[in-house]
Order: sequence, then structure tokens, then C-alpha cells
Amino acid sequence: MNIDAKYHPTPEQLEGFAQGSLAPGMNVVISAHVELCSTCRKSISELEEAASEEWLRSAPATRASSINFSAMIDRIVDHPQMKGDDITRNNVPKIHMLDHSVTLPRALAKVASDGLVWNQLAGGINQAMVTLDDQTQCEFLYMKPGSQVPVHKHQGNEVTLVLDGSFEDELGHYKPADFVVRTAKDLHQPASEEGCLCFAVLDSPLTFTKGLARLLNPFIRYRFRRATSAAAY
Amino acid sequence: MDDVISGAGSILMGSLAKTNSVREPASAPRVSSEASDSDERLLIAVGNHQDRAAFNALFSRFSNKIYAMGMKLTRNEQLSHDLVQEAMLTVWQKAPLYDLDRGTAQSWIFTLTRNRCFDILRKMKRQPATVSADDIWPQEGDIDSQLVHEETGTMEVEVSKIESFYGQLPAAQRAVVEQIYIHDRTHEEAAAVLAIPLGTLKSRLRLGVGKLRQMVGTEV
Repeated sequence: MNIDAKYHPTPEQLEGFAQGSLAPGMNVVISAHVELCSTCRKSISELEEAASEEWLRSAPATRASSINFSAMIDRIVDHPQMKGDDITRNNVPKIHMLDHSVTLPRALAKVASDGLVWNQLAGGINQAMVTLDDQTQCEFLYMKPGSQVPVHKHQGNEVTLVLDGSFEDELGHYKPADFVVRTAKDLHQPASEEGCLCFAVLDSPLTFTKGLARLLNPFIRYRFRRATSAAAY
Repeated sequence: MDDVISGAGSILMGSLAKTNSVREPASAPRVSSEASDSDERLLIAVGNHQDRAAFNALFSRFSNKIYAMGMKLTRNEQLSHDLVQEAMLTVWQKAPLYDLDRGTAQSWIFTLTRNRCFDILRKMKRQPATVSADDIWPQEGDIDSQLVHEETGTMEVEVSKIESFYGQLPAAQRAVVEQIYIHDRTHEEAAAVLAIPLGTLKSRLRLGVGKLRQMVGTEV
């Protein structure tokens, strides 16, 4: 699947993805973008080559002497090897979400396969939270046509991957595969004319800044703690 | 272990010489363990005919590095040991799937190691098992297709609901909440507009917001 995305992860995010140093939630959303974006796939191959060179250059050549590596090799080579036809190039599943039928990138299809519970939020937004780790809040968001998220800012970073439909804010119009990064200093008000399904990852709770929606802030923080502590038990 | 390492070169030469499937002039110098261009040939030999000597050579070249990555990320000798075993097992099992289109052997082995490490870390931190490394970096490609089972959740807090709660507040508190949250006035401005002392405004606001939160809270 290749879509010409206009907005991509930052170089640091791609590098962290290639190195495997990001939280699972961030890995999932970048994985989904990379699957859709041939430009970023190419970058990832290059970054993996670079990371492997760095790994071989910097890793110390020491190891625990207590380990019997010959015995380990003997155990390993007892295992059968895989053959090319063991790999099933499975179809990317098409899933039904709310009133849409959507083809999801693999990582997200896996995330969604556990079952989603949709909740209605302010402004015509449906949210299905998923717990992937104890550092991020991850959610599918479905903005109904004509919906608007109250103006908010973030304490940390928020990334949003568009999966279907489109949304817009003060800075642009975002279509499928677009990867929108917002940092703590950004204040924005996303809206969707045609409706939009996204996957969003937040590394700290958002804060509404205007109107009655501000009253939601304590509950958003409560939900964030609940989502992240569910991962930490 | 060291004897395996030093012996690997000559054993490998023997096995390479015996086979025709390795496209390699017989006169090609046997590369030292530092030369990365040999890794691809070793990996292909492992994949094409379970070449144990080639596997030994890869093992001796990479196991220390894999162990070091494990120590860096888990700071745990047992887990790092497990990582060596799991990463090298994956190299053995998946070697037949390697080809030069997938990049260098070292990059391929790095990605397998990174992925096993991700799974080990996830278990260590007791994170949910929803996604494994192979879902996130799926170039190894072996995911089952899944269907989503959708549930309809209970309604959570909505602004419209807050608006209805807000209508239930006593008039004096509602007026204060309206000034602050709807007209976005400062406390001082709101006190001036309502012609009440600042202290009165603050206590009404505290009461009103407290009541709203209570009403919303019972719904969550």
C-alpha cells in the first residue's frame, strides 16, 4: 500500500523506530505510517543499516564467561529452518469500524483485533482507547462529519495518523497516511468536514483551554492515569 | 568457544568448496571475521544448506554484540543470555528467507535482534501482549489476519451533558461559571461584571465547579 503522504514522522522518530528505542505505542503508530509510505520505508532501511553499523562499532566485545555458547549452538541447530512457503503473505485485513469499512495497516489491525470499545466525547468525536504500554495513551479517534475538537494544547507530544477521511486544523489539511506531530507549545483545534478515522498517540494528557470543555480536564487526566496504570499492573 | 571461532574459517572453506550453489570464485580470499562482506555469504550458506560452520562463524561474530545490546537495554545477564539464544535461533530459522534485497546481513541480524529485544523488554516490563515486534516491524511477515470485534461502549462525559448539569446549578453559581468558562473572563473581570466581591466570586466558583464535577463524576 502506497499513499503519497504529505506529513511524516520527524527524523528523530524514524531513527528511534529503526533503533527500537521508542515506547510500544509510538512504535505502533510509526509502523502504521511506514507501511503506508514508501519514502519512510526507504528511510527506515537506511536507518537500520546505520544503526547496525553503530551497534557493531560501539558494543563492547565482552560477555558473561559462565555461558556455554557451544551448547547453545547445538540446541539452536536442532531446530528446523523456515522455508519460503512457510511465510504466508497474508491479506491485509479490512475491518469494519463504526459506519466505515477500513483497511488498516498491520500493526493497527493487530491492535484493533483485541476488540474496541467506543466512547462518545465532546464535539462529535468517538474514541476507542487501547493500552499498549505505560508511557503513552493510544486511541482510535473517529470524528463525525462536521465535528470539531475543542481547542486544546498538550503537555507532551501528540501524533495523529490519518487512516480514513481527512481533518484540518490551523496548520493544514490531513489525508490518509499523513502523520501529524504536535508538541507542547502547539495549541490547536482540529475539525473534520468529511469525517475522519485516526489513530493518535499521546505521551501525556491533553488540556482543553476554552469554554466548558475545560471542565473535562480533571477527567481527561483521570482517564490518562487509568489508561497508563492499566499497563503497569 | 575460541577454538570454534578460529576453526570456523577453515571449516567454512571446506564446505564452500564442496558446494556449487555458492556463486563465489574458489580463489576468493577467505575473509577475516571483521570483513562485513563475508556475513552475507555466511548467512546464505546457513540458509541454503544448514551450514553449521557458517553458523558458528556468524555466532562468534554477533553473539557478543547481541549480548551487549541485551545488557544495555535490560541490565540483566539472564535476559541478555536469553536474547543471544533467541536472536541467534531466529537467524538460524529465518536464514533461508534472507536475500541480498533485504540489505546487508548485519542490518538483517540487527533487526532480528532489535525485535527479539523488544519482545523480551515487553515481557520484562509486563506490558500488554497486544502487539509483538513482528507486528511492528513486519518485514519478516507472518501475521494472521484479524477481524475486529466491536462493542458499543457506555457514553462518557460529553460537553452537552455538562451543559445540562450546568443548568441545574443554583443561579448565583451558574452566573459565575458562565463568566469564567463560557466568556473566558478572569476572576477580577467576572467579579466586576457581576458586581460581587472577588472572594464571593471565588467561593461560588469553587462550589459550582465542585458540584459539576460531582455530577459528571457519577456518570463516568
